[in-house]
Amino acid sequence: MKYFPTIGIECHVQLSTKTKLFSEVDNDARGKEPNSCVSPVDYALPGMLPRLNGEAIKFAIRAGRAMNCEINTSSRFDRKHYFYPDSPKGYQITQFYHPIIGEGYVELPEDGKKIRIEHAHLEGDAGKLTHFDTYSLVDLNRVDTPLIEIVSMPDMHSAKDAHDYCKTLWRLMCFAEVTNGDLYNGNMRFDVNVSLAPEGSDELGTRAEVKNLNSFKSVERAVEYEIKRQSKLLDKGEKVIQETRGWNDATGETTGQRSKEEAKDYRYMPEPDLPPINLSEEFIEAESKKLPLMPKDYREKFNGKIAEDTLEILLDYPALMKSLAEVKDVKRVSNWFASVLLAEEKSAEYLNDLPTGKQLNDLAEMTERGELSSTGAKEVFLKFFDPEMSKRDAKTIAKELGVIQENDLGELEKIVDKVLADPATKQAQEDFKNGQEKVIGFLVGQVMKESRGKANPSSAQQILRKKLQ
Amino acid sequence: MKITREEILHLAKLSNFKLEENEIESLGSDLENIIGYISQLNELDTEGVEPTYQVFEMENVWREDEIKKQEATREELLALTSESVQDQIKVPKVL
Repeated sequence: MKYFPTIGIECHVQLSTKTKLFSEVDNDARGKEPNSCVSPVDYALPGMLPRLNGEAIKFAIRAGRAMNCEINTSSRFDRKHYFYPDSPKGYQITQFYHPIIGEGYVELPEDGKKIRIEHAHLEGDAGKLTHFDTYSLVDLNRVDTPLIEIVSMPDMHSAKDAHDYCKTLWRLMCFAEVTNGDLYNGNMRFDVNVSLAPEGSDELGTRAEVKNLNSFKSVERAVEYEIKRQSKLLDKGEKVIQETRGWNDATGETTGQRSKEEAKDYRYMPEPDLPPINLSEEFIEAESKKLPLMPKDYREKFNGKIAEDTLEILLDYPALMKSLAEVKDVKRVSNWFASVLLAEEKSAEYLNDLPTGKQLNDLAEMTERGELSSTGAKEVFLKFFDPEMSKRDAKTIAKELGVIQENDLGELEKIVDKVLADPATKQAQEDFKNGQEKVIGFLVGQVMKESRGKANPSSAQQILRKKLQ
Repeated sequence: MKITREEILHLAKLSNFKLEENEIESLGSDLENIIGYISQLNELDTEGVEPTYQVFEMENVWREDEIKKQEATREELLALTSESVQDQIKVPKVL
């Protein structure tokens, strides 16, 4: 039997505010020791009160706007109760009843499909557990890192849709500058709900939820696996159980996680320690205006200047797009970036420390003026990423590499004369005069050789033609 | 309102309470009294009345996004836990 899959995704995005959502503690625990970014509030010691980080509200407004969402003028926090060692409070502070971000949509760039956003809310993250044979260890550094949880409508119907949605969301959040977007370190995590219904049926099937995926690829593979698994069950006349499943990246399979004996019962209640958030239209508007250029803005801005497929590659590097926006000769510079990213197989990490707008503009101008060959320009460009040379300007690097082309016409003429005086070129000169156009390439080659590659080939050709008339 | 034994056990589990047999019964009648008392409010007509979330008329209590040095050190905080290993809090195995 043919089945029609329906997919909805919940995505947690860690916000890159300086401090945590409810305490004045460093929110950036990268490379820091366990439990070094914590306070008595994070430990939930008796009497400790949360203090809301105003910046997280502004981040949420930007994130919401990036997804074309309504921003609710009134929102508030609730407690979601559960006992688990990753949460010392015994509850999570979240927004269950009145989220800050309302309805919106995300558009998939490839096919223009719109995935509706149901809502998104602010909440605190949990701590990190590491499991050992007989015990577990708790690191509270991540407790109450601000998160927004983005809840999509079930508008996706294939593994590819799910993949593209997650990637699009990642780009939006990175371009909105609300997250570091480091998937490997869990800055964005996806919970994927998959259900199947017989083709043509109006009713949705029973869904299974695959939790805690942290790459687009694993989202895609988990959906593919679930579609196969559920199809097999339904074909055999069995039922899909509504449950939470875990993903094993090594085996490429999902497995049912021991279902909790009790049905979920979080006993949500209004958070009494945090007064409501009431935003004026002006405040929302002012924050919305701070939304940086989004991928769609760059597509518009660079339309006709950067080839579409090149642009789609570059759009995976938000900082790079930002520096391209400062560049005058976008076409030339974007090609350098694209060729470095493709041919040199440089990782995104390689691009962490990007060349400045001035470095790029200088290099483009030097190339435009013919001071550098395209090969020479690329050599200089690569040195922009070399930690030892990256801070120098384009001209200094070009000089050091010895790739500046000889543009001094007097100097060039001397070289041409020398080549023409060489008996080895006599035959070629005769052939050219007799109408064999192609021979000019050989002569230019000789000039290049004589100048040790520094001559500008087109100037060399001009002078040669003049002299051979 | 009658509260069943199962409901008491369910609540105890959610709240991480270990109850003795005699406590189960007395807690049940206590809860029945409390809920009975509160449910007098059900007699009021609250149609169209905004729920009260808080009794102080406060809103938008935010702070700046600035890191403040904490007075309590990592060691002091870890010392409050029952056991720590490698600067982490040791808990019974959970999964």
